[in-house]
Formats: sequence, structure tokens, C-alpha cells
Amino acid sequence: MSELSKFSPEAQQYLDGDSAVRLEGAERASADRLEQVIAAYTAQLRVPGAEVDGAVMRRIRELAASRSWWSWLLAPRAIRVRPAVLAVAAAVVLVVLWRVGEREPPVRAAAQTVLVRFQLAAPAAHDVTLAGSFNGWSEGIPLRKSVVPGLWVVTLPLPVGEHQYLFQVDGNQWTPDPGAHAQVDDGFGRTNSVLVVGPRGVAGP
Amino acid sequence: MEPRLIDGPDALPDGEVVRRVLAGEAALFGILVERYREEFGRYAAALVGDPDRAADAMQEAFIRAYRSLASCRDFARVKAWFFRILTNQCHDQRARRRREAPLEGFDAPARERADAAVMDGEVRDAIGAALDRLTPEQREAFVLRHVDGRSYEEMAAILGTGVDALKMRVYRARDALRQQLEHLHE
Amino acid sequence: MSLLVLSAALASVLTVQQGDLHSRLIERGAAPDFARQVAQLANRARAEGLPVEPLADKAFEGLAKGVAASRILPVIQGLAVRLRAGRAVAVSAGVVHPSGSVVAAAAEALGRGIERGEILDVLQASRAPEAGSVGLTVAASLVAQGIAPLEATHAVVLAYREGHSPQELLELPSVTSSWLAEGVQLPEVLRRIREGQGLPFPPGQGGSQVRPPGLSPGRGPPVNPPGKSGNRPHKP
Repeated sequence: MSELSKFSPEAQQYLDGDSAVRLEGAERASADRLEQVIAAYTAQLRVPGAEVDGAVMRRIRELAASRSWWSWLLAPRAIRVRPAVLAVAAAVVLVVLWRVGEREPPVRAAAQTVLVRFQLAAPAAHDVTLAGSFNGWSEGIPLRKSVVPGLWVVTLPLPVGEHQYLFQVDGNQWTPDPGAHAQVDDGFGRTNSVLVVGPRGVAGP
Repeated sequence: MEPRLIDGPDALPDGEVVRRVLAGEAALFGILVERYREEFGRYAAALVGDPDRAADAMQEAFIRAYRSLASCRDFARVKAWFFRILTNQCHDQRARRRREAPLEGFDAPARERADAAVMDGEVRDAIGAALDRLTPEQREAFVLRHVDGRSYEEMAAILGTGVDALKMRVYRARDALRQQLEHLHE
Repeated sequence: MSLLVLSAALASVLTVQQGDLHSRLIERGAAPDFARQVAQLANRARAEGLPVEPLADKAFEGLAKGVAASRILPVIQGLAVRLRAGRAVAVSAGVVHPSGSVVAAAAEALGRGIERGEILDVLQASRAPEAGSVGLTVAASLVAQGIAPLEATHAVVLAYREGHSPQELLELPSVTSSWLAEGVQLPEVLRRIREGQGLPFPPGQGGSQVRPPGLSPGRGPPVNPPGKSGNRPHKP
């Protein structure tokens, strides 16, 4: 750095806000310009807003207890599979505990995500899919044919909390789930099926 | 549900918040989140040089702080303790920013301001380039002094460094910035 | 913290957020006008401290179901009104800065016919942060299952007062569904809920509490060993 570019000790005092310092000429102009530039830079700084708070507290709630069900709407997560144990009668949906893949070792606390089995009796269908609040109502999750004739099934990891969803049969017919906890108005003149998933999963009819 | 007391005469002091969070009231951590985001948001934005990455740095810092809260030895100094965690995350994000997008402009396009001095891209980049040439300590000190507007005594309390050393860092930072600005006119 | 300061802080990242929702809507086939209107609505909501996800979710739902944009917008507007009302209730319950989950849960509860006073009761009985939104979600579900709103919220309040955790409460809709499917009548279902039959453990012995790491070891939620189904009946 050339010596000429350095501020004199007086200039540094001036820039420190010392009103007793008298600065003249080029040195003064240089110091003033520096302050101007910094002020303009600072004024246009975009500062993290309150959404940081929400994101942090959601994550902290995950660490401390069960995860907020809204967080599922975000990008899909990598899921690490552990051997699951299913004890099931033909038409019953049961439960296993899963953990969503995390970089950090899991904190001792509630299960965050639970396996839930969905099923629909649709013997005449060619394909059945599932869409709902847990996947942003985007592309339908395909069900596969069960060994039980006419039954379509899929098992998904879902966070605890309420989920609204519908099956779609053969690409166009939105079909409620008779095995859901309840049916509610979707606001568009139809109904959505509702499932409230607890930490131990869901018991069906 | 407990009302969240962020500020005002009834607000819980930082040390008290930490004590209660460790006792089981995790939700109260949100008080520190809001307070420190307000307090250090500007610092993070300038230190990282990119608002989105600054938000990432803050988020990561908060999570880390929460998870290692029990290791904060002096509850009353949790702010300085958090500041150190945040600073590390900011340096990290800044380094990543430079590695991943060396050609991009230093910051997002400035908003239009009718009254302020014209802030064109060159000058903004000059500040970014000058800050890049500083040591991390100089950068921290410069941002605390000139972006946050803190006194040297405040800075000393947060950084745990003496006032003289801090002045030295700020002075060197100013010189670097001056040189950068002069280059623009060459 | 004043709403003005909050709005100013939020405004600084509004451009980024608006782009996100807007482009996501376009990607899903929304008309540009519609996408713009929804994004604007979302920004206004965000500036008021309301959660945006429920509004976005509803927009995506409408698009997926092939509903006309002109019909989706009023639904989202109505939802924004309910979110605003939900937030107001939470604030009167003493929550100075209600989380998105609480606001959304309160809005949903209002939409299902639970009254403001009942929502207040649930929130005031909730000691842990997520307990409020879980309590309201469970109550709303019970209402959708046929339980009267007053009874549903009363059951939640009682459960919390007795020390049950949100995790335990989340079992209620499932259990209720099983009973109903077996043919148990509503008055009997309600009686069982009141007696705590729907809850897996006596208070204090199960479920998780909100605890940060670094504390004396708490107890995680018990895992049902295979073959043990608790008191949950199965229908073959």
C-alpha cells in the first residue's frame, strides 16, 4: 500500500468523530468521501428480517419436540430408512417411529416423523395417486397394488400434526379417503380428507 | 401461553432467559433470537456481503447457540458469546460466497433512493473488494465501527479486545478502503 | 416490537420472497395475473405478521384441483381474514408474537366453527409453545369428527390442565376415529374422551416435554413394541 493512501493520525481522529480535530484540503476531502461512501453502502444494506426468527424457532421446536407440520411444505428432504416393524391386520393402518435424516445426532425427544399407511379400495382403477398438504398438492404420489385384490396402498413418512389430502383415481377423479379421521370443506366446494398424525402414528378403522 | 417479552421494562434480561431455557422453557429462546437478530443483523449483512447468506449465517448461529447453550459459562455475557458464534458463521458464509460466485456483483442491486448519494455498482464493489483484503479481525472491527456505529468501548466489550488494538484494526481498514476508492479514479 | 419496525425489517427481503412464491405459482401453471395477485396478498399478509404457508398451500391446492383463478382468489382472501382473526385471538390470549403454527391453527379452528372464547381457553391452558397449535388442531379435528366445539375444546383444556403433553393429545383423533368406526356412539365417545381413555398415559409418565439439550436426561416417547397395541381396538 502506498504511503500516500494512508490517512494521517489526525484524519483517523477526525474519522473517529473527534470534533476538536481540524482537517484541511485533500486529506479532508478524502476523509469525507470515505464517510459518504460508507454511509451510502450502509443505507442500502439489506438486513435479515423477522423470517429468520420463525425459521430458527421452527428448527428449535424440532430439536426440542415434535416438528411443526407446516415445515413439510418446503423442499423434499433426504430420508434415512431404518428397518420398520409393521404389525397389521388387512385393513388396518399402523405405526412405526422414523427419524428424518439429519446431519446432527438426534436429540433425545419426540419422534418427528412417522410412517403412515394409506389405502384405497378401487378394484376398477388403473392408477391411484395421493396429493395433499404434505406435498404441497403437487404431483400425485403413486399408490401400488396390494396383494389384497382391489386394494391400493402406499406408506409415507409424515410429520406429526394435521394433514389434508385426497386420492386421485385414474388421473382425474378426486376421491376422499373413507379411512380418514374426518372430511372437511376445502373451500372450493369439495371436501378434503383429514388425518391427524400422532407420534405413535395413526390407527385406522 | 406466555407472552414474549422482547423489550420494555418487564423484559427478561438475557441471563434470565438463558437460565429459563436451560430449565426447560425452550420457547423463550425466541426472545434472544429476536433481540440478537435486531442487534446484529446489520453486522451480519455487512460482514457476509450478501443478505440471503447473512440470514443463513444468523440462522445457523442461532441453532448452534441453542444446542450448545449449556456450555455458555457466564449467562450474563451470552450476547458476547453468541456474537462470537455468529461471527464465525459470517466468515464462513463470506468465504463460501467468494468461492462459489467470484464474478458476481458484491451485493444485490441497491434500492432506489431519491435522496442519498449515488451508490453505483463500482463503489459498492470497491467496498466489497476492500473488505475482502482485510483480515477477519479488521473486517469485524470496521463493520462494528462504521456500519453498526458502535463506540470503541462497546466493541471492546463485545469482542473482548482492548480499545487500542481495535483502533489499529479500524485504521488499517480505512486505509484499505481509501486505496480501493482511489483505484476507481485511476 | 412495533408493527412498523417489523414491517420495515420484513420489507428488506420482500422482493426475494415475492419472487419465490410468484415463480413457484407460474411453474405450477398459474396465469401471470393470478400469480401476481396471490404474491401480493402473501406479501401483505407477511407484513402483518401472518403465516404465508397456509395461503400458498391453498393456492397450490386450487391449481392442482383445476379450480378457476377467479374462484381461488376469494378463498385465499377469506383465509387471510381468518388468519388475521386467528392472530388477534392469540394476541388476546397473551401471546405477544404468535408463531405461524398458532395463527394457522387458530384460523383453522375458527373455520371449523370453534368460537373465539373457546380458542382463548385452549391457548390459555397451553403452557408449552407448540401446545397451543396442537391443542387447537386436535380440537378442530374432533369437531370435524362430530364432537361439539365446546366439548372438543373442553376436552383439550382438561387434558392440558391435568398435565398431558401435546404429543399425547395428538392421539385423540386417531382413537376417536377407531371408536366411531367400531360403532361407538358419539355420547359414549365423548364420555370416554372426558375420562381420559383416549390418552395413552397417565399425565407425567409419557410423551415428551419441550427440553433443550444439555439438561438432565428426559424421557423420550415410548415406542410401542411390536405386537402390543395398547388400548387401541382394531377392526379386522
